[in-house]
Amino acid sequence: MRDFLTSVAYDRWILNALILIPLAGIIPVVFAPPARAKTIAMVVTVLELVVSLGLWWGFDPTTAAMQFSVTAPWLPQWGINYTLGLDGLSLFMVLLTTAIMPLAVLSSFRYISEREKLYYALLLVLLTGMLGVFLALDMFLFYVFWEVMLIPMYFIIGIWGGKNRLYAAIKFFIYTMAGSLLMLVAILVMMFQASKTSGTASFAYDAFLQAAPRLDALAPWLFLAFALAFAIKVPMFPFHTWLPDAHVEAPTAGSVILASILLKMGTYGFLRFAVPFFPSVALSPMVTGIVVSCAVIGIVYGALVAMVQPDVKKLVAYSSVSHLGFVMLGIWAATLQSVQGALMIMIGHGLSTGALFLLIGMLYERRHTREIAAYGGLARVIPVFSLILVVTSLASIGLPGLNGFVGEFLVLLGSFGRHPWATGVATTGVIFAAAYLLWAIQRIIFNRLDQPENAHLHDLSARELWVVLPLVAGMVWLGLYPKPVLDRMDTAAKRYVELAKPNPEPQAETALTRPAAEQP
Amino acid sequence: MQIDLTTPAGTIFALLPEVVLSVAALAVLLVVSWRHQGARDSRLAGWLSLISLALTGAALGWVALHSPEEPGLGQMIALDTFRYVGSGLILLVTTGSVLASLGYLEREQLVAPEYYVLTLLAAVGMLFMVNAEDLIVLFLGLETMSVAVYILAGYDRGSAFSAEAALKYFLIGAFASGFLLYGIALVYGAAGSSNLSLIGAQFSQGDLSLMGKLGLGLLFVGFGFKVAAVPFHMWAPDVYDGAPTPVSGFMATAVKSAAFLAFARVLITGFQSSALQWQPILLGLAVASMVLGNLVALVQKTLKRMLAYSSIAHAGYLLVALVPGTPLGVSAMTFYLLGYGLTSIAAFAIVGALGRNGERDLTFADIGGLAQGRPWMAFALAVCMLSLLGFPGTIGFIGKWYILAAAVSSGQAALAVIVVVTSLVSAGYYLPVIMAMYMRPLRAPLVFFDRGLSGTARIAVTIAVVLILGLGVLPSRALDQADQAAASLPQSAQPAVAGR
Repeated sequence: MRDFLTSVAYDRWILNALILIPLAGIIPVVFAPPARAKTIAMVVTVLELVVSLGLWWGFDPTTAAMQFSVTAPWLPQWGINYTLGLDGLSLFMVLLTTAIMPLAVLSSFRYISEREKLYYALLLVLLTGMLGVFLALDMFLFYVFWEVMLIPMYFIIGIWGGKNRLYAAIKFFIYTMAGSLLMLVAILVMMFQASKTSGTASFAYDAFLQAAPRLDALAPWLFLAFALAFAIKVPMFPFHTWLPDAHVEAPTAGSVILASILLKMGTYGFLRFAVPFFPSVALSPMVTGIVVSCAVIGIVYGALVAMVQPDVKKLVAYSSVSHLGFVMLGIWAATLQSVQGALMIMIGHGLSTGALFLLIGMLYERRHTREIAAYGGLARVIPVFSLILVVTSLASIGLPGLNGFVGEFLVLLGSFGRHPWATGVATTGVIFAAAYLLWAIQRIIFNRLDQPENAHLHDLSARELWVVLPLVAGMVWLGLYPKPVLDRMDTAAKRYVELAKPNPEPQAETALTRPAAEQP
Repeated sequence: MQIDLTTPAGTIFALLPEVVLSVAALAVLLVVSWRHQGARDSRLAGWLSLISLALTGAALGWVALHSPEEPGLGQMIALDTFRYVGSGLILLVTTGSVLASLGYLEREQLVAPEYYVLTLLAAVGMLFMVNAEDLIVLFLGLETMSVAVYILAGYDRGSAFSAEAALKYFLIGAFASGFLLYGIALVYGAAGSSNLSLIGAQFSQGDLSLMGKLGLGLLFVGFGFKVAAVPFHMWAPDVYDGAPTPVSGFMATAVKSAAFLAFARVLITGFQSSALQWQPILLGLAVASMVLGNLVALVQKTLKRMLAYSSIAHAGYLLVALVPGTPLGVSAMTFYLLGYGLTSIAAFAIVGALGRNGERDLTFADIGGLAQGRPWMAFALAVCMLSLLGFPGTIGFIGKWYILAAAVSSGQAALAVIVVVTSLVSAGYYLPVIMAMYMRPLRAPLVFFDRGLSGTARIAVTIAVVLILGLGVLPSRALDQADQAAASLPQSAQPAVAGR
């Protein structure tokens, strides 16, 4: 396989292709007849997936350096380049994105019946934006992708969403933009600080990484700006309030993309930018205390709130808050296991929560309600659906043998040494997760079949099976044999742990303590 | 061949664009004094003025190519890239607003062809404002422009609101001119010259006398009125609202650009070394404009008034670019003017097409479902809103980013934070426009049936949208131009903080 990839010079064009294929796909989607739009979008996203699969084999797991890099000048007078690259952190996010998108398109075939051209064009813009965020190695480029991806999601929620869609759409937009605008100022400040010592303007990721230790007194503010942008996206408690609204109102594909990919951008941002840039701030006792507390509160609070939701989509939305709390805990514990665990949860949550939203969407297409109380006894009517729902829920709960277990176990294992109390409390989150999901399953597919409308539901069609089965396969694979995945993220996780050590340079140490020392 | 300012012919050549445009404006006036009957004559005048603007553009290009390398100090007319870029900007937005006016005037039955003559004369005044190296020339240009625009604001003679707009604009504008002239007199008294370079040399130690300070303060008041900065903005909402929509667009883009370009030259060439004295004032004006403009725009119900308040907010952003007093800031301002000009021309043209009778009552609800009735128009307006919001992928983002860079590079990070926070507020009124067009149901399918853009306005909007998106993705060349323009501006002091 590698020989084949080398023979087609895969490493030289792949990242450009990933960005450009969806953009090129917009043209036929816009100009074809509306009925054709979904087919074209499907072809484009599948092509994207096939092309991206080469990354799995082409990726060299022995190095932490950026691979497949491409670069081209964009605004040369400002040292802004179009630079893309991929390492063990981004590899799986990219593959997750390209894998989820065809399923999102396929799941929309019947759900989306009006203004299809606009819908599928927006999904393709979204695909480019999301991949751009994971691949960009230039801070300006990163910011552009980060913002651009907002617009299609805003439209998808606002046009094809539920009753309260306008409110949810604008809330989503303003929350996200609030964080990211401050990040833009922080990026600029860092660039000018870096250019003071290096003499040249540059927005390159590496230049920022080198300049970061010399930021002295500015570092806490800059960290705050970055962290706010990412914390809102994660969303970390207490910035999570946009998430339930957005999830509940968004159409199925929108919820799937939000949960599986968009939320990961926040944690990816912490792993790639916020913590490596400012380790001495991020891992200072105070910040660590705040973040770890918020993560643990998020885990427990998200699970408890999920338990009492009458709306099954909202239940899954709050479960995301809980799961992402584990990721944040793993990132801040900054041990090899905890970081690998965080990455595993990011992948696993993408598969299992994506699948849950897809299944809820299928149920909604049949009954047009998401009230848990409206269901009951479905196992006898639609057994295949029920089986898949049970497997997916168990994966989400963290049953050994399925994906959720690996990640959560690694996070708890890796974090215990650093934050024993927090980890102890977080463990209860696993129990609560079992409680809310099993209870929900019991009420939906077991219990008595007491609603006559539910007696005649038809089971999953072939298309719907195609939508969920790949995700189930992924969950089982990650649960049983995660080694190839762990191998590939190993060096990147090590590098992160290396970068996340509080800065040993004495210069930065004194700079951080100086303001305190000056106070009488 | 280079233009030699020591000979009389050289002076004519140096003023070639202004001469061409003045002669053309008079020629059009002559034509319309015979042909001023119906819509056909109005259209003829419109096309003639487009030709005049094209000829002026050619003359401008010729002057730019034959510009002397060392024009020498103490001239009345500048021969630098800043003038050429600025004049090009003025001609561009004037052309856009003529294109937007052609169909509009016919529809609203405002078919008096003098409209175009006044537009051209206003443009002549603007060209003089941009090229003025001398405060007297600046004032002459400003008055020429203002008088023409007073009449344009009241062009809808049948509408009381238009008359109100004209009267208000005239009274307050006359006051502003008075302040400006008095300021010029005091500055002359303090510096012994009305020439900007000589003023700059006189005050090069930053030792502004009391009289100089007073003069500069009055200049600030005058310019503050012209660019509609808070607290000198009171006239703007009513005037923009009452004037015919293409005129509002013209005022928001061309008039504002000319005033800002002239203001930048005054500050950089004349008073750069006293930056410490005027920076706090400018900072206050900028913050007040951004905060008040954005907050009040938030509660507007009609599109036209919303755009009026948003133009106050954008004046605030532009002032932020001037606060550092560096070439980088001037470059950011110039580029932002281009972005704001393109976007506003298109936005006002679309608003003009969607409404009727002056568009004073076109609410957000009225454009509900526009995306289904007229998808391309909705797309264009959505692009404009995103550009005004400063969203990546549009020219508005590059402009705002450049302003932020200018502020941050001179150590004004707090000001940059205010810019982004107020930008966030502006999402609260730009997004509802998009929301109404795309996310609300189509109210009555036939409403938009006859509400398309006229042929020429469609050209203007198409070009503007293509440029908004094109320069939003590939701004490198345009940024270079803005940089060169700013660098060509004679500076009266070495800036305390280097641009980059």
